[in-house]
Amino acid sequence: MSRQRTMDVILASEYVSIGELVRITGCRYSTLKFYTEENMLPFEQAEQNLTRRYRREETVKRIQWIKKLKEDGLSIPQIKNVLQTAPKKERGPD
Amino acid sequence: MKDLKLTQSFSMIALNAQNSLYLTTVKKVALRCMAASVILEVLLDNHTGKGWNTVDLRNIAFPDSEEYCQAVLEPMQHKKVNASRPLSLKQCLKSASALSGKRLKKLEKSVADSLRSQDLIEEIPNLLGCDLYFDSAGVPYMEYRSNIPEYAAITETVKAEILENGPVTDETVCMLWLLRESGCFSDFFSLNDLETVAVRMNGLYYQNPLAKALYPIRIRRGAELAVKQFLHWKKRIFKRPFAAGINFVYPVLERSQSVFIDTEAWFSNSDKRLEDVKNRLKLYGHTFTVLQTGAVPIIKIDNLVYKAVPQAIYGRVPIHGVRLMPRLPF
Repeated sequence: MSRQRTMDVILASEYVSIGELVRITGCRYSTLKFYTEENMLPFEQAEQNLTRRYRREETVKRIQWIKKLKEDGLSIPQIKNVLQTAPKKERGPD
Repeated sequence: MKDLKLTQSFSMIALNAQNSLYLTTVKKVALRCMAASVILEVLLDNHTGKGWNTVDLRNIAFPDSEEYCQAVLEPMQHKKVNASRPLSLKQCLKSASALSGKRLKKLEKSVADSLRSQDLIEEIPNLLGCDLYFDSAGVPYMEYRSNIPEYAAITETVKAEILENGPVTDETVCMLWLLRESGCFSDFFSLNDLETVAVRMNGLYYQNPLAKALYPIRIRRGAELAVKQFLHWKKRIFKRPFAAGINFVYPVLERSQSVFIDTEAWFSNSDKRLEDVKNRLKLYGHTFTVLQTGAVPIIKIDNLVYKAVPQAIYGRVPIHGVRLMPRLPF
């Protein structure tokens, strides 16, 4: 199949998989899966296979933002609300 | 997360919480799989696209490879040099996993050194080393502890790749096989996840040529794996409240959950007992905080909370001291 991409290659690519997001953000897989299922992390899905692809820069920024909101003491519904009501520029592509 | 080789990644999982000074049966299981991971690493790095059923060790230059690779490849050198054709993958993995205890120790040392140089693994004292029997016999008890964020990143990446739909990398295919052979599957996956993993691995067997070549191979040794599973089961059982009570009376059943620290004098009061416990913990380099004083103090040692229950044990003469029992529920 394919070899695992090195960190340099991952950090230079536009799209990353959820496994690669785990590597670059240090978040747990279950956490990222939960965020994805709750529509907190936008992704693209190719039709022929069901692999989810995330835009690296926007997604990493968004994860850091969610982490910060959590540190500020916000609950998940509140964080979702903040993400939805934030201006488009801050929110990134949906 | 750092870019680690397959052997280094697997070793961070395999060596974590293992006794760093002695070759225990459980560690032997881990080391056999680490030796196999070296072969897989060589296979992945030198793959020419001709299929995965053979490993051509004849073209590998020893001076260029890592020290831990040499520890495994050197004993196989005669096979490598004399072979007129590449060895089969099964043959290679079996020979690597059948290395002698001395060779396995050499492999452990070289891998641990390579990880230590990157601050990915350290040696920490085990609480059992403070026990009367270990302390008075002068038997040190140290264990490996992997760097926690890096350890989590490795295991979570494997989980993300196998539990998510989509392609699986060669490293993850190998890592799953190594986890299966070392009997670590149930440590990382829940029962629900295990079902998904089984289905995915079955799918990989039919779709992925590497998985097709690798997954039918078995290097595990029944007796060693049985010992590992039994000790694991025993430890889990004695973490339950009822079994913990039995373990207090018969500590020989599970010593790691019932550590006895002797006090200097007979009939010492609670303050002196606590002082003796603190001195012993300090001597062996544990970090601790006394959460509650009194007749049965509560002490947090290396992030686990213990009750220090006064007790006397009887041999030729009675020995007074305290027994450190994990506070339940954890």
